[in-house]
Amino acid sequence: MPVNVERPFRVMLIDDNIIDLKINSKIIQLSKLFDEIIQCHSAEEALNYFHSHSKEPHTLPNLILLDIQMPEMDGFDFLDIYKSLPEDWKVSCQVAMLSSTLDFGDIQKAEANSYVIKLLKKPLIPTELENLLRSNFSF
Amino acid sequence: MTRSPVKVLYIDDEENNLLAFKASFRRQYEIYTANSAAEGLKVLENLPIEVIIADQKMPTTTGVEFFKSISTTFPDPVRILLTGYTDISALADAINHGDIYRYITKPWNDLELHNSIKNAHDAYTSKIDLRNKVQELEKTNDELNRFIYSISHELRAPLVSVIGIVNLVKMEGLYHSSGEYWELIESCSNKLDYYIQKTLQYYKNNKDLSEKADINFKKLVDDIIDLYSYTDRDTQFNLNINQPHPFKGDSFRLEVILGNLISNAIKYQKDNETHKVVDISIDVTPFSAEISITDNGLGILNEHLEKIFTQFFKTKNNKGSGLGLFIVKEALNKIDGKISVKSSLNQGTTFKITIPNAG
Repeated sequence: MPVNVERPFRVMLIDDNIIDLKINSKIIQLSKLFDEIIQCHSAEEALNYFHSHSKEPHTLPNLILLDIQMPEMDGFDFLDIYKSLPEDWKVSCQVAMLSSTLDFGDIQKAEANSYVIKLLKKPLIPTELENLLRSNFSF
Repeated sequence: MTRSPVKVLYIDDEENNLLAFKASFRRQYEIYTANSAAEGLKVLENLPIEVIIADQKMPTTTGVEFFKSISTTFPDPVRILLTGYTDISALADAINHGDIYRYITKPWNDLELHNSIKNAHDAYTSKIDLRNKVQELEKTNDELNRFIYSISHELRAPLVSVIGIVNLVKMEGLYHSSGEYWELIESCSNKLDYYIQKTLQYYKNNKDLSEKADINFKKLVDDIIDLYSYTDRDTQFNLNINQPHPFKGDSFRLEVILGNLISNAIKYQKDNETHKVVDISIDVTPFSAEISITDNGLGILNEHLEKIFTQFFKTKNNKGSGLGLFIVKEALNKIDGKISVKSSLNQGTTFKITIPNAG
């Protein structure tokens, strides 16, 4: 089911690797697929963002690109907590995983998770991101 | 290395026999004696006994009954049964249920008993050694697997970042800004990534069989073509997939096999070929899947056909790693599949595969 969204269109990147965060932000910026980019260095930081911006729904992300392997709270741990967040925070938000993993277990776990619309492989390719947006959002 | 003497437990209700045994063997062995099964058990519980000798005819518990009673609690010590009379049924019972190593008649001959104890101890030692070796091997294997796995992951993450940066360079129009340097970085990075991926495939293939899943060959082949043809859009694929029956198989290994063969068919094309074609046909029966993959590419020299499935086999002219077909063969071995190849130089190559249907 495509999610209806309005401009500005926001993406949240969650990645413990600062270099990847920089690369992926830059790729998204150059691809002009989003109006705003929210960078989070950890899953905890992302959850804090949701809590501190819950009063301003227009600042919450429309797409989360979530890394899998992160110290302390990994991508799957984040999803477990994300599930329990209030519905109206997530109503115009979708989650895709973005990882360099080739691990069968990780891939199956991501595909089995009902909150994950797709597992994107690093490096992020603008056309793949565009296809993902086309099939999951309507403007 | 000086070994401590063999620890022998001798159980007999006749005090004279215990004394005689001690007198004969105390110089060679570390001897513990007990005059009943219950006493013997106490010794076993407190000491690492290696050889047990028990008299068959004892009140309350016979020798065989005693051996049976300790078969799960003390499986390691090697057992010798001593008996003054030949009772065939006791003997059969001893062999079948008591895990007896030797049977010796009374009165014993010192030399015969001595040899038996010595052999029994050798049997004990090799049993324990073997178990330790197996444990050691399992541990090493486990560590090696984890090592390869984590190295592949830790190596790949930063490499993928590098490939991401090269993509950025392209997006910003800087790819040709420094001669061919960016192109060289890209080709080295892709090569390294290929090796890492093949290493992971090899490692995963070596693990135990995974669960059988329902395979949809049409979807599997479409996904693989999607994955590998983005580098080369000129190749035409002719698919002829007949799957009137469900197919159950190992989805990871099927992906590895078809992925390597299809990517090879794309990779080893003639540069000057204007009409690059790959034909893939699959016929599924209740018993097997018959797969054939044909390209009109470079072909393989006759004298190389025998060697293409060997690890690290490369030819001068191609850009292969010598891993792809080796992994295909290894994966087929794990799922009882067969492969054959026909090729003529500059005409093309056909691989035919048969994979049993586990459904």
